Amino acid sequence: MKWCKTTSLPERRRLLACLVVLGIVLFHPLPSHAYAGPGAGFAVLSSFWTLFVAFFYSVYAFFAWPFRQVFRLLRRRKAYGKAQIKRAVILGFDGMDPELTERFIAEGKLPNLASLRERGTFRKLQTTFPPISPVAWSTFMTGVNPGKHNIYDFLARDLTNYLPYLSSAEIKGPKRSWKIGRYTIPLGGPRIKGMRRGTPFWHWLGEAGIFCSVIRVPVTFPPEKFAGVLLSGMCVPDLKGSQGTFCLCTTRPRGEKFREGGVRVPIERNGSSFSSYVPGPENPLTAGSGGEMRVKFEIHSDNRNQARFTVDSQSFTLKVGDYSEWIPLKFKAGVGFNAHGICRFYLKELSPNVEVYVTPVNIDPGKPDLPISHPVTYSIYLAKLFGPYATLGLAEDTWALNEEVLDDQAFLAQCYANHDDRERMLFDALEKTQQGLCACVFDTTDRVQHMFWRYFDEDHPAARDVPRDQRPSVIQDLYSRMDKLIGRVMKQIDDKTLLMVVSDHGFKSFARCVNLNAWLHQNGYLALKPGKTESGDWFDDVDWSRTRAYTMGLNGLYLNLKGREREGIIKPGADADALKDELRHKLDGLVDPASGHAGITGVFDCDSVYAGPYVDNAPDLIVGYGNGFRASWDSVMGKVTSQIFEDNLKAWSGDHCVDPRLVPGVLFCNRKISDEKPAIVDVAPTVLKLFGLALPGHLDGKPWTVAPSTTP
Amino acid sequence: MSSPLSAPMGSLGVNLPAAIVVGISLVIGLGMVIVFRYTSDQKAIHVAKDRLKAHLLALRLFQDQIPVVLRSYGRIVLATGRYLRSAFKPLLFVIVPLIFLVVQLDRYLGSMPVELGHPFLVKARMDNPNALNEASLQLPDGLSTTAPPVHVPSEREVVWRVVAETSGEYIVNVQVSDQTFSKRVVVGACLSRLSPVRLRGKFWERIFVSGEPALPENNSIKSIAVQYPPRKIAFAGFEWNWIWLFFVLSLAAGVLFKSILGIEI
Repeated sequence: MKWCKTTSLPERRRLLACLVVLGIVLFHPLPSHAYAGPGAGFAVLSSFWTLFVAFFYSVYAFFAWPFRQVFRLLRRRKAYGKAQIKRAVILGFDGMDPELTERFIAEGKLPNLASLRERGTFRKLQTTFPPISPVAWSTFMTGVNPGKHNIYDFLARDLTNYLPYLSSAEIKGPKRSWKIGRYTIPLGGPRIKGMRRGTPFWHWLGEAGIFCSVIRVPVTFPPEKFAGVLLSGMCVPDLKGSQGTFCLCTTRPRGEKFREGGVRVPIERNGSSFSSYVPGPENPLTAGSGGEMRVKFEIHSDNRNQARFTVDSQSFTLKVGDYSEWIPLKFKAGVGFNAHGICRFYLKELSPNVEVYVTPVNIDPGKPDLPISHPVTYSIYLAKLFGPYATLGLAEDTWALNEEVLDDQAFLAQCYANHDDRERMLFDALEKTQQGLCACVFDTTDRVQHMFWRYFDEDHPAARDVPRDQRPSVIQDLYSRMDKLIGRVMKQIDDKTLLMVVSDHGFKSFARCVNLNAWLHQNGYLALKPGKTESGDWFDDVDWSRTRAYTMGLNGLYLNLKGREREGIIKPGADADALKDELRHKLDGLVDPASGHAGITGVFDCDSVYAGPYVDNAPDLIVGYGNGFRASWDSVMGKVTSQIFEDNLKAWSGDHCVDPRLVPGVLFCNRKISDEKPAIVDVAPTVLKLFGLALPGHLDGKPWTVAPSTTP
Repeated sequence: MSSPLSAPMGSLGVNLPAAIVVGISLVIGLGMVIVFRYTSDQKAIHVAKDRLKAHLLALRLFQDQIPVVLRSYGRIVLATGRYLRSAFKPLLFVIVPLIFLVVQLDRYLGSMPVELGHPFLVKARMDNPNALNEASLQLPDGLSTTAPPVHVPSEREVVWRVVAETSGEYIVNVQVSDQTFSKRVVVGACLSRLSPVRLRGKFWERIFVSGEPALPENNSIKSIAVQYPPRKIAFAGFEWNWIWLFFVLSLAAGVLFKSILGIEI
């Protein structure tokens, strides 16, 4: 987005003429100066008040600063006293794969990473069980295994009804409300409860007086208080409360429902123009009755390639294939009850049909209706500084590409627009955090690999009809782009700064789907109601009274345990252990008959991989899929099908929810690290140690031995 | 020239000058924000203001980091400059016509006519102090001098003290040698267009302070002035100079209308 506007020569001449006139009028030595009147008054009041505020605040800050220092000393917060580093910069590249990285380094495509490896360290970074972003990043920030932070997947299951819920945060309506007829007046804001346990290491740093800037690290919603600034990342919902619901507005007759992630909205023709709407959250005043708030918009087609959009009082023009900037939307529920969101419009087609894709409505960072940063003003600060930006946890709309609502180019444009915003935030944080911790996670690496692996794979079923010489080199370009970013960061840091580049996991092809529920059904562990050969989503038609095991989510397998699940039948203890052993032995090495490859290369007992107070919430077994395999789309959604193995034909063609041993992450550091098998759980204790802090006793990770600075 | 509204509004007990200022302020406030809207780069102004706010927030967010705080101060100053630059062009469109409008309004609202029975001064300023002795004042019926003329050679002025016996609009003449120069004088309590001075030459000064045609060139008189008392307008329990009242009310109206119309200023 360009903020600066260049002026042409005629404009400059006009401006000069205006200046001369104003000069004559204003600088003529007469009492008429006062007649500048309210026009100048606006300018003066609107601008100089900031100077007044800044002045008074500076006076306050100046006098308060010694007291704050004394206060710190009194609380024994002597920061940096034993620190080995002045600053730690951690760049998280979600899903950066060590094998690919090595390959591209060898090809000379990643000079900055090659330099880091040469001067410092490059290692594979052991990931978590399972190797899923919310799990791994939770471990990254807390330094503990999932048994202590309670995140095992994106989803967790409700033991009372076998239905899923988001594992990281729970959002409920206000505690109290006032019912008047059919209206419900909410008394208070929504209640948000974070489900992740454990303490992020920046909390300890903040306690010690070390400032931290934390940007978009997953599972930081709701934001927790600490001495620093934080912008929440993955798991921040959209304004509807979902993890991202796009909207396809179309004049085409209604098609099939999207499997997930999107809704179709009709576009109506009104003479020469068209009208439609962006669906928003449920109206809080008529909560429960399904009333959805909407923002209407109109499309005026200028020609076959361009249209003018009018949304509320805003107007903008788009060509076919163009995205709008972020457009603020105000969903009006009633007087004083508004929800503020932002979205981008993408004009797909104008003729013969009109189709417009609308991104999920993100929480407006400038007017956040839910807290998405700590302090709340941090998201506002970033919005004021850089303009609106994506706040949704999974901001890159992979579902829209999966459903073929967006094409490759449109999806990539969206990814890199978000990425550019993130880069701006990072460099601002680097500038603002000259001492302390600066951690920023980039999701682009994960999303792009998920969606474009099909072109990278030799024989991916989703791209078999695309000749090799016509396949875009998206993943190579992505790695190269990230390398350039690292280069720019390296220019910003000195030898007292520790730079770490980490990823939470690597990547593999996702060519074949495994429906584990189908396997459980066919092998007598999961029963359907009489007469049924397949179930609906979320175990519709499953006979729980005869079901011993089931799976939902990406890697978890659950026993239907008596006393735990609502209709559990397996007795805890010996029976459960025996069943786990039986399943492990049968599933480990499960072969795909079509390819002859092992679809599952490891099944791990939660008792052996987890330890901590929340182990009871863990899946009983963690299934490690083989290279090229992953849980099928249906299996993830608790659906039993007749096929166990099938091709993955979706654009979502790469994945990491496999055997954790297959997908370690990366660790680059600008200093030598002697440990040969570092793990993501070690990052938190290492950073704490480098800043000279004592390690909390409950941490599972071990600090690495980091050599002092190696300035070339 | 008295306002045709003076009598009826006065008889209704309405403070006519205050009512005029309020009305004009509302209209000007509305007109100004609309003109501003269409002559400004709304996006640039929005961005400039947002940047200012961001740097202010930075002061709070990074308050313990002195270098950041100091840089933020600098950026606040720069951002203020950028905002003023963005607001400059539309302000030209607003300020220039407004200045001329306000000058005209000031003829009516800036001063009060001479009060009946209260002496006032008529001053004639000459090129040459030797010509002071040649100047004489010719008054119409209803006006009379109350003292001999006073010569102020250092100011090159001759001053007459005059009193009015009846309300109305008068023409007084100043004669120097064989030339006569007129000046309009308004007496009474009505709302009239007043010109405190008649000038020779000085185009811009005449535009801003005089409401009469220029004195002829090539004569010895530079100006003829009448000292009108300043007008105070009672509003909201205070006595206001109309310019300040207009400033405050039009500003308030502008803020109100900009919010209603969603205009960025």
